[in-house]
Amino acid sequence: MTAYLFLLPAAVIIFTFGIFPVAFAFFVSLHEWRRFPEAYQGLDNYVRALDHLAFVLFFWLAIGALVYGLITLRRLWRMTHDDRRGLLALLPGLLNAAVWVLFFNWFFTLLPVVLDIPQRIRGQERVQGMFINELAASFQVPPVVETGTMLLLVALLAVAASVFFNRAIRIQASVELLTKATLVFVFLAVGVLTMQLTVAEIQLAIETARAAGEDLPLWSQVIFISAGIVLVIAAFVVWQRASRHFDDRKFVVWGLVAVLLLLGGYLLSAELPNALANADRDLLHGFIITVMFSVGTVPLQLAVGMGLAYLLFQDIRGKVLFRIVYFLPYITPFVATSVVFKILFSHRATSPVNNFVGLFGIPAQKWLLEPTGITRLLFGQETPDVLAGPSLALLVIMLYTVWTYIGYDAVVFLAGLGNISAELYEAARIDGASGWKVFRHITFPLLSPTTFFLSLIAIIGTFKAFTQIWIMRSPAASTSVDTMSVYIFETVRTNGNMGYGSAMAFVLFGVILLLTVFQNRIMGSRVFYG
Amino acid sequence: MVDTARPLHVPQAPVERPQNPFPWGKVITYTILMGGTLLAILPFLWMISSSLMTNGEIAIGRLIPSQPLISNYPDAWNRANFAQFMWNSLRITAISITGTLVFCIPAAYAFARMKFIGKNFLFTVMISTLMIPEIATFIPNFLTVVWLGRLGQNLCGDACAWVNNWPSLTVPFMASAFSIFLLRQFFAQIPDDLWDAAQIDGAGHFRFLISVVIPLSKAPVMTIVTFSFIGSWNALLWPLLVTQSDEWRPVAVGLTKFVSSDAPGEFALQMAASVIMVVPILVLYFFTQKQFQMGISTTGLKG
Repeated sequence: MTAYLFLLPAAVIIFTFGIFPVAFAFFVSLHEWRRFPEAYQGLDNYVRALDHLAFVLFFWLAIGALVYGLITLRRLWRMTHDDRRGLLALLPGLLNAAVWVLFFNWFFTLLPVVLDIPQRIRGQERVQGMFINELAASFQVPPVVETGTMLLLVALLAVAASVFFNRAIRIQASVELLTKATLVFVFLAVGVLTMQLTVAEIQLAIETARAAGEDLPLWSQVIFISAGIVLVIAAFVVWQRASRHFDDRKFVVWGLVAVLLLLGGYLLSAELPNALANADRDLLHGFIITVMFSVGTVPLQLAVGMGLAYLLFQDIRGKVLFRIVYFLPYITPFVATSVVFKILFSHRATSPVNNFVGLFGIPAQKWLLEPTGITRLLFGQETPDVLAGPSLALLVIMLYTVWTYIGYDAVVFLAGLGNISAELYEAARIDGASGWKVFRHITFPLLSPTTFFLSLIAIIGTFKAFTQIWIMRSPAASTSVDTMSVYIFETVRTNGNMGYGSAMAFVLFGVILLLTVFQNRIMGSRVFYG
Repeated sequence: MVDTARPLHVPQAPVERPQNPFPWGKVITYTILMGGTLLAILPFLWMISSSLMTNGEIAIGRLIPSQPLISNYPDAWNRANFAQFMWNSLRITAISITGTLVFCIPAAYAFARMKFIGKNFLFTVMISTLMIPEIATFIPNFLTVVWLGRLGQNLCGDACAWVNNWPSLTVPFMASAFSIFLLRQFFAQIPDDLWDAAQIDGAGHFRFLISVVIPLSKAPVMTIVTFSFIGSWNALLWPLLVTQSDEWRPVAVGLTKFVSSDAPGEFALQMAASVIMVVPILVLYFFTQKQFQMGISTTGLKG
């Protein structure tokens, strides 16, 4: 009991500002929403951001939830291998899942009513406690009462069923069985509901287009893009299998991979541009900038950080001092150091950096005010759009980001180096391994968990990056440096469209989640834990 | 970074090698490390140097001021309204840190040393919030804060407002999964014997926490304090959204505003203002840098 009391305050805050906002953001994203909720809009905000690709993504979200539900069901089936009575957990599981669904149903019926209170009492004479009265009244609105009663009834049933299951069937791990069974139905429900929403929205879009006398080939788009994605993933899986078995089939496998990739790539490249035709250009552009930002900063900062950590780990004097100094850029407020960089890299011909590059005969640059891609600056204006690369302004921001994070990476790498046992080095020394060989075959592989962790943090960090870009962006070059995060914030700040902002934020969140999962699968399998 | 030809010392292995005529490896190592040091501090040196110049000197690209212009500091302080911003940041930071300690220590203690139903589940849920980026939650959190503010205003007047007041700037950060995790790791290492002894003396969990665990945990608590200090001193996105007047704007927002709209061309004042903002953090860092790096390496590897 004391434990819950200890947890309560922290749990309330973490729930209110950490977990609940995710569901709330999704709810907001389905509405026209400025200061207060306006009309329900379905997936319109997502379509505005990603055009028809939004349908494809929701379609796959639904499929993913359904598949995951079925996988969990299979696990449950295997777990009950010895005692099939365990499958009875499915009944309380179904009820538990129903409780979750009904809870959200009730909660999101109540939420708009509650959020609307400030609107309702506006203009009335201010009386203390009026807000509380309205709050209490919100719970008594008929739809809220209806959904609430349903929730209570089913919750009672679910508790009864769960207790009965635990008492009547005495098997080990009954709690785990119950959790799994609940998860099965939660995922299936999420899948079915999302699918229902997506199909309804697709049909609506087609009907609307038809009424306007147009033919909207939405379903074929969904199918083509899905097929493209499936083929590319299949090629990836085949390749992974092949790299595990070295034999004569390899040639065939490679051929298959190539064909699958080509087919998938062809389908995607043919259909994606159509699907994205009316998407938010700035958002897509922001995505590309974010990717360039990641690619340009993460490998460089990790390599330099690892190198410095390796040197610092040697038997040298002044270790502590070096460490303190390298850490300085990370520790000082980003706002302040960004301002410094902004002036160091200012466009004046006599700015410090222009003076410096002038020593090498390089003409003065506009740096943070330069929206032109770096390859164009180097090789002339005729470089095609695709190869333009990051703008000079973005390059400066990338340099700044690398500068700030190297010290952090080095400190974490140092801790990782400290975890490698000295015996290994001893053994290598006895075998006569050279410095480079020791690094290549002992240090580097044993450091891979740290490298993996840091690259995860760094990539997510670039997707979240805000402060330095916000300070260093200028009207002249803002379109070439605004990452997704900055664009989302700017949109919400300037036109206050919370619904659209939430939809874009949710897309960004999805990208980050996907990246994490992807990185876990690809890199996680190569990490060597010793 | 690592050269193949260079005879590097094997880390932490005993050094018993014939003396080289000239230690090339060492020289290269130190050269690289010194080069790194230079790159790391050059912007700081230039920040300090240019904060003492005139605007003209910065414009022609001088590196050292002809005559140090100390008056830039009082000028920046007054023009940027920094007295107000610093005071705000200090207030906000103090409230945040107090809240963090009051809320996170008991929670971490519960996760580390108590048994209760749903512990693993709650812990997993809490840790997973570390994955959620601020950009995904700032809109709903803003709506929540606006609503809570209306509730507060109706109950006890404008003093209880959330937006443009301290609650919106501090309460959401008072319970961080990061702090709870870090403290939990430490609390879990405290030997059980101490708890047994405390129980024999008739102490409960609360007494044990206050009189044994907290005094033993000065290092991690200091780490948390440092992290919350830096976090709230540096925060920009959220304060930009929830402050509308200088009354509660923290120094990060103040500096941003000063640079972009109040004194756009006055680089010397901007640099002086930046130095003023950086100083408290640097002082704190030099006093706590050991705990700080410890915090980074422990959570860095396990978080």
